[in-house]
Amino acid sequence: MMRWPKPSTVRWGILVAMLFFWELIPSTKIIPELFLPSLSKTLTVLWIDRVEYAEALAVTLYEVGIAMLIACGAGILMGALVGGIATLRNIMLPVFSSLYAVPIVILYPIFTAWFGIGSESKIVFAGIYGFFPVMLSTAAGIRTIDPQYLLAARSMGATLFQQITRVIIPASIPTVLTGLRLGGALTIIGVVVSEMLTASAGIGYLVSRYRTLLDSPHVFAAILMILVLSIMFDLLARTVERHTLVWQTAGRRDRGVAARPSTLPAATPV
Amino acid sequence: MSAIAIERLSHVYAGAEGGVPALEDITINVEAGKFVVIVGPSGCGKTSLLMMLAGLRHQTAGTILCDGKPIPEPDPERVGVVFQEASLFPWLTALDNVEFPLVLRGAPRDERRRRSQEMLSLVGLEGFGPRYPHELSGGMKQRVSIARGLVQDPPVLLMDEPFAALDEQTRMTMGHELLRIWSTTRKTVVFITHSLTEAVYLADEVLVMSARPGRIIDRIEITLPRPRTYEMMATDTFGQLRERIWQQIRKVP
Repeated sequence: MMRWPKPSTVRWGILVAMLFFWELIPSTKIIPELFLPSLSKTLTVLWIDRVEYAEALAVTLYEVGIAMLIACGAGILMGALVGGIATLRNIMLPVFSSLYAVPIVILYPIFTAWFGIGSESKIVFAGIYGFFPVMLSTAAGIRTIDPQYLLAARSMGATLFQQITRVIIPASIPTVLTGLRLGGALTIIGVVVSEMLTASAGIGYLVSRYRTLLDSPHVFAAILMILVLSIMFDLLARTVERHTLVWQTAGRRDRGVAARPSTLPAATPV
Repeated sequence: MSAIAIERLSHVYAGAEGGVPALEDITINVEAGKFVVIVGPSGCGKTSLLMMLAGLRHQTAGTILCDGKPIPEPDPERVGVVFQEASLFPWLTALDNVEFPLVLRGAPRDERRRRSQEMLSLVGLEGFGPRYPHELSGGMKQRVSIARGLVQDPPVLLMDEPFAALDEQTRMTMGHELLRIWSTTRKTVVFITHSLTEAVYLADEVLVMSARPGRIIDRIEITLPRPRTYEMMATDTFGQLRERIWQQIRKVP
């Protein structure tokens, strides 16, 4: 009987296969180059115009960086206030939840009028776009803390300040991190989308400019960069989560340890 | 002087038409070093009473004195608490959990480590310090919880159904373990439970509470010799004591 390969092997296999077909199919001329230029053609174009792409990447990274700072900073702050203070929560949370459902992209034309078509309008738009998941998950993280933890901390003499720093913050970190990952991804989307709509620089701008020129290899080169950028961010966020949340994942790591009885005391209490 | 002296304590929950009476005219004296178990139907206010003893809640009327002094707010150096759900912090290791009360007090690191290690050994968890709570079994978590309650060496230990979430075998073992720990530390223990067997097995004295509003309707001295053994559970005395408590609880409408 054949054993199934590991999921990670399958994932890599699929990626390699996709890249392979990306190269193969256009070379058979079944699909015109305008629709799908081959991988090698895309990479060649990317290499030839590397200065242009690097400059665009720098602009996009700068916008993403500032927008993420705004989204995370304001999101955590507002989330903490809304999650921690009942009155504020009752007033604000329904509003924010509804706003989250609004396609904020409709506001982008207004932002370009207010802040110009430079980086500022992208930063504001993407910042707001990423703010909501961060804020909502921070609020949820704080609201769903097990009251037993706070009761136990109080019984041990914790002051309000100690309850916040030693219980509320560590207890809400997992949900906050999930929000940061989601918010960060939305910030990247926000920056790229707004660059595609109205801009004079950035990778999103390259996509829309080369599309109007019907220059498919250049469009795909820009798309490839955005893909890599998003995937890198996600990997980074996952790594941070893994390292911060040792206490949640330690069990998996530890089952391996438990297999070696020498690391355990002789008598295992119940 | 009693380790715990509760005098004419009553409590009314705020609510419609003057509130809901929860506890009524409770007077309890616990001598130092005694093991007192409180049993009673669900919602009789046992836990409320314990919260008041811990300084976590305030009664409407009456006084609580611990070693002659009131407990206006939680003070882990005078009263330690062990909760039903182990309520360990999942982001801290077993050792850090036991250290937590000392960290709050700002105790020096060396002293913290030494005390917590001592407590972990006392509860039989030597070597489990670096484990996170989710790597421990239910019984082990409660051991850590007990260690945490004892780390500041309070003369009084309050336990709110600490073994309720455990399976019966683990529960029996833990009861036995608790008696061992108690016999080496000689704390005054107030222990709440639903299990009559557990009550008789552990206690010097069992207090039976009525349904809401909670009152003390019976005090039963458990005359079984110490150290207690599992074999005692099969004796007639054990059965009669258990039956007497059951009769009292059954009378409650």
